[in-house]
Amino acid sequence: MNVLDIRGLSKKFGDFIAVDNMSLTVGEGEIFGFLGSNGAGKSTTINLVASLLRPSSGEINILDKNIAKHSRFAKMNLGIVPQDLAIYEDMTAFENVKFFAGLYGLRGEELKERTEEALKFVGLEDKAKSFPKNFSGGMKRRLNIACAIAHRPKLIIMDEPTVGIDPQSRIYILASVRKLNEMGCTIIYTSHYMEEVEEICSRIAIIDHGKIIADGTKEQLIATITDLKDIRIELKRGEPDLALSLKNIPGVRDVSVEDNMLRISSDMAVDNLSQILKVLIDSGADIRSVEEQEPNLETVFLTLTGRNLRD
Amino acid sequence: MNFLNIALKEIKRDIRDRWTLIFMLVFPILLILILGVALSNSFSSTPELGEIRVLVQDKTGGGPLTQSFDAFAKAVEESGVKFESWSEGMDGRKEVEQHRYDDYVELTESGISLYGSSRSAIESSIVQGMLAAFTDKYKAGSVLAQAGKDTAVMQAEGTGEGKEANYIKETSIVADRKPGAVDYYALAMTCMVALWGAWSASRLITSEVRQGTSMRLVAAPVSKGSIFAGKILGSIGSNMLCVFLIIIISKFLFKAYWGDHLLAVVAVLFTEVILAVSLGLAVGYLFNGTASRNVLMIITQLAAFFGGAYFPMSVDGDLGVVGWIAGLSPIRWGNVALTKIVYSGETAAMWPVIGLNIGLAVLMLMASAVLMRRKEGI
Repeated sequence: MNVLDIRGLSKKFGDFIAVDNMSLTVGEGEIFGFLGSNGAGKSTTINLVASLLRPSSGEINILDKNIAKHSRFAKMNLGIVPQDLAIYEDMTAFENVKFFAGLYGLRGEELKERTEEALKFVGLEDKAKSFPKNFSGGMKRRLNIACAIAHRPKLIIMDEPTVGIDPQSRIYILASVRKLNEMGCTIIYTSHYMEEVEEICSRIAIIDHGKIIADGTKEQLIATITDLKDIRIELKRGEPDLALSLKNIPGVRDVSVEDNMLRISSDMAVDNLSQILKVLIDSGADIRSVEEQEPNLETVFLTLTGRNLRD
Repeated sequence: MNFLNIALKEIKRDIRDRWTLIFMLVFPILLILILGVALSNSFSSTPELGEIRVLVQDKTGGGPLTQSFDAFAKAVEESGVKFESWSEGMDGRKEVEQHRYDDYVELTESGISLYGSSRSAIESSIVQGMLAAFTDKYKAGSVLAQAGKDTAVMQAEGTGEGKEANYIKETSIVADRKPGAVDYYALAMTCMVALWGAWSASRLITSEVRQGTSMRLVAAPVSKGSIFAGKILGSIGSNMLCVFLIIIISKFLFKAYWGDHLLAVVAVLFTEVILAVSLGLAVGYLFNGTASRNVLMIITQLAAFFGGAYFPMSVDGDLGVVGWIAGLSPIRWGNVALTKIVYSGETAAMWPVIGLNIGLAVLMLMASAVLMRRKEGI
């Protein structure tokens, strides 16, 4: 079953097309990474799913039900962790979570239990009676998450949940995301930190100019742009004669020497690093360092969009 | 029931807001205290009067009336009313008009005429009352002494009003109760605080957008109508709380008079708050950010100024254009109605004001609702 199913979705602001005929599915149990640079249409898509905006055309289904026709059902199953903090600074952590959970129909003892559970989940149980204005950035971010999960949604959209926080809180939040996923939540995760997306997302979509331009696992995405890896070997002195013998090694496509740096382009699928090193050692080359570089999501993003993710 | 959840949240946050408390409670209470003390003399109901000088022209040629009047004049002289005899060449009316005398009395065969000045209204009233008492006694004596003969008739004439009356009608020049300075400002400031509810109401929606919480509200299974109703209800609740506290503090701490019809008073103030919240909400939707704050600043300050919040404005006087502008102030119409309810017990005075407040509030709420429906989000 698809937890989220977007079909032919478009959103126009006057003449500007923010989301352009987008189709996308997110399956149950996925941690779905949603990548796009600023203005790519990422936040607009999230706002459309959260019913903050009305689509110009197309449809959005959550758990196989159209959100326009089954608004309450869709909202009951959706949790939003907005990019900007969405908490009341003059209400305690407990009051914040309780208020938002109360909007989902929770009452009495159940409301209290779910509130405590959510605060415990994000590690703020001992700060329940404290006001967020006294919290660190990381603690506020965790409270922001707690407010979105107390009603136990099936789908959680996390928009940049780790912006501007300390590394410790980031680790805590990423662990929380995994834990939520293990508990059965499907998660849509957006971030400007490529390494976070690579680390936790099972599937990734790249959006540019309001369109999904790539969608798949990390490996699938990388495969769409290249099947080559880059090996850089630093020698004590340049040895131009080595290039010919290296080119005979299976998988090696190209070899270039620049000063004392040897650069080898090779098939990613062929594991030939030890052979390359053997040839160099046998020929008496003095090796200073070896670096093997496979393309990453950053490379994929740059190749596909022509921009860095943080542009 | 989500609107109640939202309303309670609004009230809780307003109560915790230090600036709301200062602005909506401390400031008006201080104003009641400061203006009430500073302007207490302007509201005094016990004016100091000096000697009252009355010019008397006796045209009877000396008779029983003259004798009786001389005895009367001698008796009242001890009370500070001095009757001085007319001299040849004097014009009694002019003497009063030019304020050399407070009143002028003519004794004739047909009765006693009194000429007073509107500038000495209190003095004239006192003399008038004394003459009425004297006439009653004199008439009674004449009836007994000369049965069948025409009795003296009194005439009273006020030069200031230019009206004539055939009989002296004794009316109290001081109502049963008149507002002192603290009493006045307790009413006026409470009306003003009620209108200040517009300020917080103008930020009801924008504050959610600014805090990012609007996204959570809209993403939750709560209708826009519930959000709208909850926020309005909360704002009315917290503003009414301030109004109640000002009534309680002014009543029990400053001994301000709130009359015997508190329910009617609260009803008027309640509708003033509803009007203010609706006004704030509508302005908040029509103008963005600082513009809405500036518009409300102008509206509330003009309404307070012309509504008599800072200094009393005559209710009955002809103020021309100023009077017309003053009539547009919700503080003014609330204040006038409350004064009638509190000091004259005229509870019926609340209905026109309640009708006006609710009518305008409904119009503004409808406008806000239409603007909200058109917007994406809230």
